Amino acid sequence: MSKIIAVHSYKGGTGKTLLSVNLAATFAKLGKNVCLFDLDFRAPSLFAILKVEKSECWLNDYLNGACEINKVLLDLSDKIQGNGKFFTALANPATEAIRDMSAKDRKWEMRALGRLLSLRNKLLNNHEFDYLVFDTSPGLQYSSINAIVAADFVVVATTGDRSDVDGTRRMLRELYNLFEKKTGLVINKVLDATSKSKRDEMDSRVKNVYQVPMLGLVPCFCEILRAEGNLIFVQDKPNHPFTNILEEMAKKIDANEVY
Amino acid sequence: MTKEILSKKPLHILEKIKENLEKLNEKMEIMIELQKHGHKDTLPLPDASLDVMTLLSMPDHLRKTAMTICRCGRATAEEVSQQTTRARAVESAYLNQLVIMGYLKKERKGRKAYFYADRDSQG
Repeated sequence: MSKIIAVHSYKGGTGKTLLSVNLAATFAKLGKNVCLFDLDFRAPSLFAILKVEKSECWLNDYLNGACEINKVLLDLSDKIQGNGKFFTALANPATEAIRDMSAKDRKWEMRALGRLLSLRNKLLNNHEFDYLVFDTSPGLQYSSINAIVAADFVVVATTGDRSDVDGTRRMLRELYNLFEKKTGLVINKVLDATSKSKRDEMDSRVKNVYQVPMLGLVPCFCEILRAEGNLIFVQDKPNHPFTNILEEMAKKIDANEVY
Repeated sequence: MTKEILSKKPLHILEKIKENLEKLNEKMEIMIELQKHGHKDTLPLPDASLDVMTLLSMPDHLRKTAMTICRCGRATAEEVSQQTTRARAVESAYLNQLVIMGYLKKERKGRKAYFYADRDSQG
């Protein structure tokens, strides 16, 4: 079944963009048709990671009602070795565009929600895509909550940081639950992730603190830091443990195992 | 010609009575729901927009209905009730509450009442 997946977190720096890009690329490698959306309008980054310099129209234009979504979509399938299509819709990185998006009022946000919701009819119900992956802004911002409302499933990225743990727990109860959203938790940047005691500690935290299904545990990989955002990891490092973890996550989501 | 007009008149009156009874029924449903949840949730707002922050601040029973309209765009109480698995009469009352609060618009087409969030005319 086609799905919209939002990747969200309470704090910044939890690895949302890394997870979004690699999850979308993994779906494409598995033969799914996927479109990756940059909904982080305050700090757009997918254009840099995917090395796209220009776009005829941006996602900002679509949400402003200035163009249709097909003008925004870019076909980057040649970047991924797999049978699936890999498209993207990018946020405008120009300072003026960021400023413009930060100053939108509630009524604009309401219309933007309508346009996000209509993506299901435009891109999923006609079987053009199997998955839409939304990379969002952290915390409780309009653009990220709009993305969560439009999504079928929320991948919640978190780390071991105390402030992140508390904030994530609150968001699970006071945001995703209120919108009746299915969620899967990814604990990222875990130190000593291979030790049994660490895994047990994380399992117990997920069970007792978060009380939602665990989607994946991602160790802190120095290779990811060294790559400095220059690689689509699952594509460029097919045998790396990170690639295997992402493949497991994608398969779990595809099989509805985390619901 | 006169005979034809005369035969149509009682039918027209009956249709009007039925329409008024349906309106009365809707108002009764709203009053029942208002009593259940208290009046404070249903005060009309001067500048209401059905955005995500509004959805977050709504009581649970209304949020479910409002979210369904957000997803469908435009729907009858019957269509909303199929998605929420609550009774049609209950959804009708909640939808009308949302209309009173200014979050939804209502449009009658024949015997059906359609509810929608008016995204285009605002702002």
